[in-house]
Amino acid sequence: MSTRARAALVSLTTVAVLVAAWETAVRVGDVAPFILPAPSQVLVTAVEQASLLGPHVATTSLEAVLGLALGAVVGWLLAVLTATVPVTGHAAHPVVLLSQTVPTIVLAPLMTLWAGFGLTSKVILVALTVFFPVLIAASAAIRDVDAEHADMVAGLGGTRRHQLWLVRLPASVPGALAGLRIAATYAIGAAVVSEYLAGQSGLGVYIQRSRKAYAVDQIFVGIALIAILSGLMVLAIVALRRSLTPWQAAMAAASTP
Amino acid sequence: MTSFATRRADARAGSRASAAGGGGVEIAGDAGPVLEARHLSVAFPGTGARGRGSGSVKVLDSLSVAVAPGEFVAVLGPSGCGKSTLLRALGGLLDPRAEVTGDGVVPRDGDGHRATAWMPQRDGLLPWRRALSNAMVGAIAAGVPRERALPRARELFEEFGLSGFEDAWPHELSGGMRQRLALLRTCLAERPVLLLDEPFGALDPVTRRRMNAWLATLDLAGSSDRAVVLVTHDVDEAIALADRIVVMSERPGRIVHEAHATGTGRYDRERLLAALDG
Repeated sequence: MSTRARAALVSLTTVAVLVAAWETAVRVGDVAPFILPAPSQVLVTAVEQASLLGPHVATTSLEAVLGLALGAVVGWLLAVLTATVPVTGHAAHPVVLLSQTVPTIVLAPLMTLWAGFGLTSKVILVALTVFFPVLIAASAAIRDVDAEHADMVAGLGGTRRHQLWLVRLPASVPGALAGLRIAATYAIGAAVVSEYLAGQSGLGVYIQRSRKAYAVDQIFVGIALIAILSGLMVLAIVALRRSLTPWQAAMAAASTP
Repeated sequence: MTSFATRRADARAGSRASAAGGGGVEIAGDAGPVLEARHLSVAFPGTGARGRGSGSVKVLDSLSVAVAPGEFVAVLGPSGCGKSTLLRALGGLLDPRAEVTGDGVVPRDGDGHRATAWMPQRDGLLPWRRALSNAMVGAIAAGVPRERALPRARELFEEFGLSGFEDAWPHELSGGMRQRLALLRTCLAERPVLLLDEPFGALDPVTRRRMNAWLATLDLAGSSDRAVVLVTHDVDEAIALADRIVVMSERPGRIVHEAHATGTGRYDRERLLAALDG
């Protein structure tokens, strides 16, 4: 069995054991379903409400994907810009930090006020959460590679534009993707929080309604869907990374026996 | 960029400046030097914690050197004597904070490109480009048209013993192959002067000796009238490769000795070692 297959087996077994322990605890302890429903009951609820859940899942996924794309592009461009023109870095620094110190839960109502109840305000909120790790990781990647390779290009007669095209831009891509992989884990979460306060559709809306109806099993369905969608986002980014930076996969394969 | 790095060549053939700090310069043949520095001094602003006075560290002290077309010059000196700084100065790559005085030229050809192609101590290969594509960086940065550079690159892969590895990632190549690829990249810039900063310094001694033997057979200069300036701290490397050896002192670097290969192509090794020891 390959190392990867074994790792996947261990992960799946752990999840299975935890779910089994939960099921057993609820049944043996005779816990009331409105306090903590058994996983089997959560599954039953999920199947029953599948047609209702479809549109909610679609809304949240769309918000997360668009927000992730917007945040990634903005974070990446900002990283390249600040590395190329240092003064823009000094200018952007306080604004970027400010954007990260204000909690999403505080920003969400303001964003609704400015951009409406629809898709736009949610996409902006997700993008605000996502661009930061992309910016940080891409900037670090550019800094790490810069001196040696930029000198090499200059020493061959290359201009600053050559340094940008041959070194800075390509060097930033693996960094941006590493940041994006982190960002992907909370893009869905950010979308859900933004729906929580104001929205007509989405997993946040579904969870909010379930909470008001004391339908604890439905809340757990929402939680499970957030986890599954987040996992899928990460897998998508990993696949994107593999196709955009094939040398990294080759390097990793070479370093593991 | 410093005024030193951007000053244009004046066409006067070989001003035989005899540097105050020793090291007179002779130019072989009648053609003017393809690269020349006169009374070049370079200092870097110090950290200020140690040392007296201005607090700047003088790296090169009134150094004059000229390179004729087709000539292979080795700059030999102890570690830290400023030979890498000299090479960077000749290549127009000095840190902008460096204080440069003196007079020098980095001639530019008709297209306005600089005359030199510099190869760093470490290979500087881009991990996201396959071997052939990495080599082409030399052509792209120097503005050599792709239609001309690509066939030349394929030829050189053969000549450099890299054929079959055109599509390899840099990390898949051995240390010796990486350095050869970096040199190939530098050649593709098609500049009249190659500046090589201890090109094989990072390799193990055995590979290094092999690389030098190979480099000696390569005839980088010569046929193409291309000059080479090689910086090294290894006497035997200099002897094996160069038409002329210039020995530098400890920092601040001055030229303390200069030797030409005699008719039989041999140097007085003891003499060079004595000069190197000061």
